[in-house]
Amino acid sequence: MRYSHGVSPKRQWIGYAWAAAAALACTLAGFAMRPRFDLVNVAMVYLLAVVIIALRFSRGPAITASVLCVLAFDILFVPPQGALTVDDVQYLLTFAIMLAVALIISRLVESVRDRAAAQAALEIEAETERIRSTLLASISHDLRTPLAVMAGASSSLEQSGERLTAPERKALAKSIFDQAREMSEHVAKILQMTRLEMSAIKPDRDWASLSEIVGAVLARLSERMSAHRVIVELPDDLPLLRVDATLIEQALGNLLENCAKHTPPGTIVRVRAQRSGEEIVITVEDYSGGLPERDVERVFAKFHRGAVEGAGTGFGLGLAICRAIVRLHGGRAWAESVPAGGTAFHFSLPLEEAPSVPPEPASS
Amino acid sequence: MTDAHPVILIVEDEPEIRRFLRAAFGVEGYRVVESATGRRGSIDAGTHKPDLAIVDLALPDIDGIEVIRRIREWSPMPIIVLSARVQEQSKIDALDAGADDYVTKPFGVGELLARVRAALRNAVRPQSGASVLRFDSAEIDLERRTASRDGEKIRLTPIEFRMLTTLAKHLGMVVTHRQLLTEVWGPTHESDTHYLRIYMKQLRQKLESDPVQPRHLLTETGVGYRLVIDD
Repeated sequence: MRYSHGVSPKRQWIGYAWAAAAALACTLAGFAMRPRFDLVNVAMVYLLAVVIIALRFSRGPAITASVLCVLAFDILFVPPQGALTVDDVQYLLTFAIMLAVALIISRLVESVRDRAAAQAALEIEAETERIRSTLLASISHDLRTPLAVMAGASSSLEQSGERLTAPERKALAKSIFDQAREMSEHVAKILQMTRLEMSAIKPDRDWASLSEIVGAVLARLSERMSAHRVIVELPDDLPLLRVDATLIEQALGNLLENCAKHTPPGTIVRVRAQRSGEEIVITVEDYSGGLPERDVERVFAKFHRGAVEGAGTGFGLGLAICRAIVRLHGGRAWAESVPAGGTAFHFSLPLEEAPSVPPEPASS
Repeated sequence: MTDAHPVILIVEDEPEIRRFLRAAFGVEGYRVVESATGRRGSIDAGTHKPDLAIVDLALPDIDGIEVIRRIREWSPMPIIVLSARVQEQSKIDALDAGADDYVTKPFGVGELLARVRAALRNAVRPQSGASVLRFDSAEIDLERRTASRDGEKIRLTPIEFRMLTTLAKHLGMVVTHRQLLTEVWGPTHESDTHYLRIYMKQLRQKLESDPVQPRHLLTETGVGYRLVIDD
């Protein structure tokens, strides 16, 4: 397999075509040169062609080029012209040298290609390793903290429940419940990202209404968004979308949760959508001062968190999941700074012509 | 069924989950029957004649959906399904097989108790379901087919009435897309989800104060709709 690194069958075919073209071009050049130049210079032109083909393509086209060049050179230029008789031994040497040059150069090029491929494989491995260790670090931080709270709170309830006041007991129990719920969501997100990465999720597309999805997300996150001022601006004539509503609900929910998590209470969060050609662009923007320019570009990258690390920042997985879901639907996700100070998260979804709904007969 | 202490059958293999369910239902005055396997659960449903069954979908022996089918062969008792988050499709299958509602694990006891209360209330209602629905400012009389908002008469189309009637039959509980499409438009339209989107939008515009953030005609994303009326 080593010779086939990076050489597709199509490219291989193109290589042979170029080999033939090069031999033809040299022959034309040779005829032009012949009246004024020595035969040896014509041979040099052929050699140059062989070198170039060997450098650009694989061994097959290089050998082809050298054979074609030698044949053309021998038949058309070496006396007696028009015949394949080699009466002068020196042109046999020319042939041998051309072939040797073709072989040596294509061998060199291939070993360079092999090394580059090996290097790329190493880099992918290193990147995978880096992601894995970031994931592990995130898991141990973001799962250990709630676990510590749950273990601590439940053990105090067990050991000294009778001696605690009722409000104290209730507060401990509530913190166990809240942390468990939080952790369950973390785990669900890790699972979801893993499944998305393994392409284990096939979107179950059906006709969905964006305003229904927005309504469902806001209902689900009402508690978490209660400190923020959410404004919904959806045009009344939005077409139906052919999407997996559950996944899009998650994608949108992750954007809103991200705003809730990273902006101070009281921040205005605006959800809007607009049709733009053959797609619809959904935007969640906050007016909180915004992210540093560097972060705006990287914000959708996996495991990227804001500049501040620490409790409550979540995995940074939410936005990566959002992007993966949007891509799965053939859309894009991106972020940009809002001029007034804030960050806008956008994602687009392609539109399809929705089937019509038969009109209802006039009401009875 | 009119007993002051309704009997709840819990079909769940995890002893720790049965433990807290037993405690939570006990405090609320329910009597609890526990089954750790699907087969046992199907039998217990027959012998104990519970008022309601709670069925875990992931059971060790037979599928929770199979338990639902076996119960449905002879009883209309309300069935609530416990499903894990990754079981999105089996949740819908369970509902289409006859379950009345679902709760996704992990859940708070408050959420489950609310579902149980809604299901039990619904079971004692006459077959036609609630006949007068009161929204914030709208009132719909399903029997007389009249509707008003802020005292003014509003027009609902026959399909809109049929949708409301179907949802009201399962008041407080989820109705899947397929159930709604089959009951309103007939079995040949069971996958015409776009009908639902269009008519639900119309209904919300006529009846909800904020059609985008409805308080009564709720969306269960990927599953169906739920009609909720405050007591």
